[in-house]
Amino acid sequence: MLDITGWIPFILAFALFIFLGFYGARFRKGNLNRLWDWSLAGRKLGPTLSWFLLGADVFTAYTFVAIPSLEYASGAIAFYAVPYVSIVFVIAIFTMPKLWEVCTKKGFVTASDFVKARFNSRSLAIAVALTGVVATLPYIALQIVGMQAVLSIMLSGVSNASTISEIALIISFIILAAFTFKSGLRGVTLGSVMKDILILLTVVVVIIAVPLAYGGFSNAFSGLSSAKFQSLAGVSVPAFFSLFVGSAFALYLYPHIINGSLSTKSRKTLRRSLSLLPIYSIGLGLLALFGVLVYAVPSALAMIKSFGSGLVAVPALIVTTLPPWFAGIALLGIFIGGMVPAAIMAIAASNLLTRNVIGEFRKLTPEGEARLAKWLSAAIKFIALGFVFIVPLTYAVQLQLLGGIIILQTLPPVFLGLFTKRLEWKSLLAGWAAGMISGILFVLIANNYGALSTSDISTGIGLLYIGLIALGINVLVAVLGSLLMKKVGLFRNGSLKDSDFQYKSEEA
Amino acid sequence: MQKRSNSRRILKYVVSAILFLMPVAVYFDVPLYNVVNPIFAGLPFFYWFQLVMLPVSALCFFIAVLLLESNEKEKSRSS
Repeated sequence: MLDITGWIPFILAFALFIFLGFYGARFRKGNLNRLWDWSLAGRKLGPTLSWFLLGADVFTAYTFVAIPSLEYASGAIAFYAVPYVSIVFVIAIFTMPKLWEVCTKKGFVTASDFVKARFNSRSLAIAVALTGVVATLPYIALQIVGMQAVLSIMLSGVSNASTISEIALIISFIILAAFTFKSGLRGVTLGSVMKDILILLTVVVVIIAVPLAYGGFSNAFSGLSSAKFQSLAGVSVPAFFSLFVGSAFALYLYPHIINGSLSTKSRKTLRRSLSLLPIYSIGLGLLALFGVLVYAVPSALAMIKSFGSGLVAVPALIVTTLPPWFAGIALLGIFIGGMVPAAIMAIAASNLLTRNVIGEFRKLTPEGEARLAKWLSAAIKFIALGFVFIVPLTYAVQLQLLGGIIILQTLPPVFLGLFTKRLEWKSLLAGWAAGMISGILFVLIANNYGALSTSDISTGIGLLYIGLIALGINVLVAVLGSLLMKKVGLFRNGSLKDSDFQYKSEEA
Repeated sequence: MQKRSNSRRILKYVVSAILFLMPVAVYFDVPLYNVVNPIFAGLPFFYWFQLVMLPVSALCFFIAVLLLESNEKEKSRSS
């Protein structure tokens, strides 16, 4: 349990975070009664802030809960996250600036807006929007699991810890919903700067101090008899490879990541920020190593074992190795590290629901659209919170695996749609359906129709990430279908021109 | 004159393509770094090599983006 000298800095820093969230409304002020102004911060984010906001998506509960706990339990395979957060930015550099260009020219706010115009199809746009929302929910739940992990370490040893933790989460979410409602993406962005500074500081301190005090990484590794911690077993190589490739294709399809990309001030800013983001990823790699480092710290290891899951590896390491005042600040960093992404995700999901699902069936005024999105973003947060309270902890993490597989199925309309107009909406929809069904089916088979524990399936060449296989089926159906439709003369053109994608240098 | 600036532009494209692909190719070659030795600061090669490649990636991508930018500037000036 964290003592009082740790709680005071935790609470003070939390107060600062809340202040930043509300202050955001005044920051680069616009008209917050418009959806794009509220959710894209008026497209006014310059290089530094957009770097932080885009990087905020690298530091989420995925980074300090899911990956370290995988490293703790399964060793080297967890490091697939490192190549993933390098090559993902190559994919982003070739897709996001183009999407930014067309969305800014045409006033689009979501990827689904783009899909609708590109393929002249409402049904396809709705399918893409709903996939985004469904894939985002377990991702938000994962953020809450991360916040819970921090609280459970802070409260360990307290008699009714779980009740206190639930009350603390509800209060935190009311505050979060309030300032997201008021300040939109602006408030969240300021909060993300604070969160990233705290997390980076924590990572640097722990990665230097702990090896010095506890005999280095060699001590951590020497305690582990299993070879899977030192490097990959041969059978795991295809899984490692397909996991990082699949994850890299998936990330920039998530609604909140696209939302962050679209909120930058210029195409140039966006592309430069993206190219420098692998620097941010070093923090992710070091956090993954915390999952091994705990083996050198007996008190942290004991804490994890009594909790029964590696999900608390990072907070346990912080609380057992750092002085209480600093541990308090570090834990707050991890705590808001779950809150900020949860808010960004809820904004993006509510955007999709408002514009691309409800807006398709009911005419909304610009004010009405903004108001509905604000309420929905609050509702989505509490749905995710309720979900975490009801289902077991590990289940949320497993569903996030499924989220990655299904979001990948929106790749053909969104990414391929940026580069070619030769695809056709019915075939894309058929491909999407084929990818979704085969993906879910493979997950069930790989887990023997039981609890979800893996997203890899064994094939002729070893274990492979299911998301990638399902995407292959999806693309195949979409391409063959489009060729066939062209042949029989049923091809319908979209409403975008090539010039809508063209980039004109600002100095021209 | 036009011809010379054209070939310089092509050269910039080629170099930026190499810079984008280099880190990807290295990460794709899993057997290259799936080894334990040499150990550095207690970390097996598998871990520290992948970490070192991150700042290398950023440097490559950033230079590649700058090259693309300079090409775009030239193109819009000549048109």
